[in-house]
Amino acid sequence: MAAFPELRVEFGPTLLAAPFFALLALVAPAVILSVLRRERIGHLPLLVVFVLSMAAVLLAQSVAAFALAWEAMTLASAFLVGTYHERRAVRRALFSYLLVGHIGAACIITSLALLGAHAHSYRFADIARAASSLPADLRVAAVVLGLVGFGSKAGALPLQFWLPRAHPAAPASASALLSGVMLNIAVYGLLLQCLLFAAPLTIPLALTILIVGMITSLTGGLFAAVETDLKRLLAYSSIENIGIVVSVLGFAALSMACGMPRLAALAVLALLFHAIAHGVFKSLLFLAAGDVLDAAHTSDLEHLGGLLQAFRFGAPAFFVGCLAAAALPPLSGFAAEWLIFQAFLHGLATASLLLQMTSVLAIACLATASGMASIAFIKAFGVGLLGAPRSTHPRAPQRFNVAAVAPAWLAVVTLALGLAPALALRPLLALATTIIPSAGMGMPDVPPVPVWIAALPVAGAIGALLLARRRGVRSVETWTCGSPATARSQYTATAFSNPVRILLGALTHSFIDDAARNVAAVVQRLARRARILQAGHVRVYLAYMLVTLVAVLVIAR
Amino acid sequence: MTAVQVAILIVLAPLLQGSMHSLRARLSGRPGPPVLQPYRQLRKLASKEAVVASNASALVSAAPGIAIGVSLTLALLVPPLIHRDAAVVDVVALALTIALGRFMLVLASLDTRSSFAGMAASREMLFAGLTEAPLILALAATTLVHDTLSRILAAAAIVLVMLSETARIPVDNQETHYELTMVHEGLLLEYSGWQLAMLQAAAYVRQASFFVLAATALPGPPIAVAAWLAFLAVLIPVVERCYGKMRFFEVPQLFASATLLAVAGLGLRILGVAF
Repeated sequence: MAAFPELRVEFGPTLLAAPFFALLALVAPAVILSVLRRERIGHLPLLVVFVLSMAAVLLAQSVAAFALAWEAMTLASAFLVGTYHERRAVRRALFSYLLVGHIGAACIITSLALLGAHAHSYRFADIARAASSLPADLRVAAVVLGLVGFGSKAGALPLQFWLPRAHPAAPASASALLSGVMLNIAVYGLLLQCLLFAAPLTIPLALTILIVGMITSLTGGLFAAVETDLKRLLAYSSIENIGIVVSVLGFAALSMACGMPRLAALAVLALLFHAIAHGVFKSLLFLAAGDVLDAAHTSDLEHLGGLLQAFRFGAPAFFVGCLAAAALPPLSGFAAEWLIFQAFLHGLATASLLLQMTSVLAIACLATASGMASIAFIKAFGVGLLGAPRSTHPRAPQRFNVAAVAPAWLAVVTLALGLAPALALRPLLALATTIIPSAGMGMPDVPPVPVWIAALPVAGAIGALLLARRRGVRSVETWTCGSPATARSQYTATAFSNPVRILLGALTHSFIDDAARNVAAVVQRLARRARILQAGHVRVYLAYMLVTLVAVLVIAR
Repeated sequence: MTAVQVAILIVLAPLLQGSMHSLRARLSGRPGPPVLQPYRQLRKLASKEAVVASNASALVSAAPGIAIGVSLTLALLVPPLIHRDAAVVDVVALALTIALGRFMLVLASLDTRSSFAGMAASREMLFAGLTEAPLILALAATTLVHDTLSRILAAAAIVLVMLSETARIPVDNQETHYELTMVHEGLLLEYSGWQLAMLQAAAYVRQASFFVLAATALPGPPIAVAAWLAFLAVLIPVVERCYGKMRFFEVPQLFASATLLAVAGLGLRILGVAF
């Protein structure tokens, strides 16, 4: 192996991977728990392989190790996406996932190889050490390739189109890992690239990342707001959250480029917290959506509703997840969004013109994206679970079993992160100040997230419930102008988000999907052409090998 | 000092509503209700029994309490009138707390299975999604900028958002009795008795808090805040008298203007222009 230093496979723990490892450690047990049921146990082996491959990505310390682990992760997740491959839609989703996954992997490996060639070593530690001496053009190439590669895996625009198809196609426990953890592994890759291997980023590069993130978050939010399928809604919301994380990363890089390491450290802190919070509540929501699917046999919001009784163990957890996803106090989503807004508001108060202007834009984007997320998650809970059932399909009441504990555990984590964010913020702050050089001084303490803000509303809720019990309320049929109130008289999911659709409908026509369809068609046509090479004769294959061998020898001479 | 101010704000909130209501009626040539009518209304409703849609979940009963809690939190968060420069509002916490109250109320309205409530919920959420950006930007501007013109621009943005938050013309109409056009009132359609009293009291306090926010954003010495409050309490009924409700899909333009005003307020600071 000594002859090929570029192929050296090295694994080891690092500081930057620690929060993502913690996320994996929080989510993976819940996912494993959720498949401990007779009808789901078949997914267990692949899930374990998937979890191990993600851990391997986080531990990889050399380019070859990273590439191997990344490929293992892609393949394990692809098998999970293709679980229900009898359906044509699933096969198509799998195809687009593999296509984008491999374009992305090619970009990532090229980018890392470029960096390794510059550093004369393919070990991550050496690459990070050589970062400051990177020539400008190489830095641009590495960051852009990394953004395409990791961004496509994370669901950043414009290579996000596979995500809303592939994530819902997988079984719920796999979707939970895909959306909750794997997207964040891609974020980890992007952090490696932007904060260590190619740091410090130039202003145009940082702005590019920021803008990609903002457009991603707005698009994801808008699509989530108008989506009527529960699992696809969750997938779009993942795109929105990843967009937020990417935009904060761009903001951190920008503030570093503007000579504000303290602000950069605050932004990195906020983005790490958001990544973990989102990973946990999104896994929770996907696991709960899987239970909804089991109880109601559909994830189409138009046929859901009235599930509070049947779905009695999962509903409170799902509620917690929806509140967190809508960034409402006192849950983890609120703490995360509050921190991100603080970073932007601090950016507004700096003296740099560029930072101030991008902060204004970023605040407007984040606020609108979170408004769209509120619409999406009110729809998910209000139409999906509340009200009367919209279909006559019999609902099997959820029985208590070990799988029902999984969402509850994640709900507890979401609550804990929301009520005591300092638990996670203190170690993350230490990490952020280590990673951002010269930010150590002047970051005295963890930012005080105003958790108390929810105290009065929660007290009010309890008070109102007690009052309702003591004074009593009379219950009568809902007034629907004289006609009987039926399930049909309720508002539907489509109707609920129709104003958004009418107002912003032009934007929801996805040009990217059309372009992706064309690309996929071309790839398939080429693949069909390439089939000529597969003549089926052993002699032909031997000839190929000979030609390849000669070519390799000529090149490597 | 804060406690006194919050107490005053809560006690006088229905008076603000009553005075604006009767001023608007006078401007339209009607005698209108007495100024103290909201207090009587609250007392009357509080003594009546509450009727709840059958099969509704506990959320429906909890939502009025959450609304009260949110309004009290708002009253605590708005900057004190006396030492206004000393206190910086936690902009984000304020906006997201408002969002919490709305989220619960909209969920409760969807749980009642009424199509009118659903319609109102859908409209309310569109407005909410579009007012979050101008609200946060405008409040950020009031904490950052101190020159006169910027503060007026930011206050104008807050007032536009307030029109939506307090269900006023041209976004919504508090006096409408036609379910199909209701937005905020539509959410409350299935509420009655003491639960409705809680929701209305919460709405009054929220409105008063927004008034204080807008008044403290406006320039001038601390004593001017009272004058600005009075000015706003006259301005809004006059606007309601002079204009009609906008078409639903034109309202977003109003919010776009609010965003632009807030950005302009910040932009003056960014570009270093001071008036």
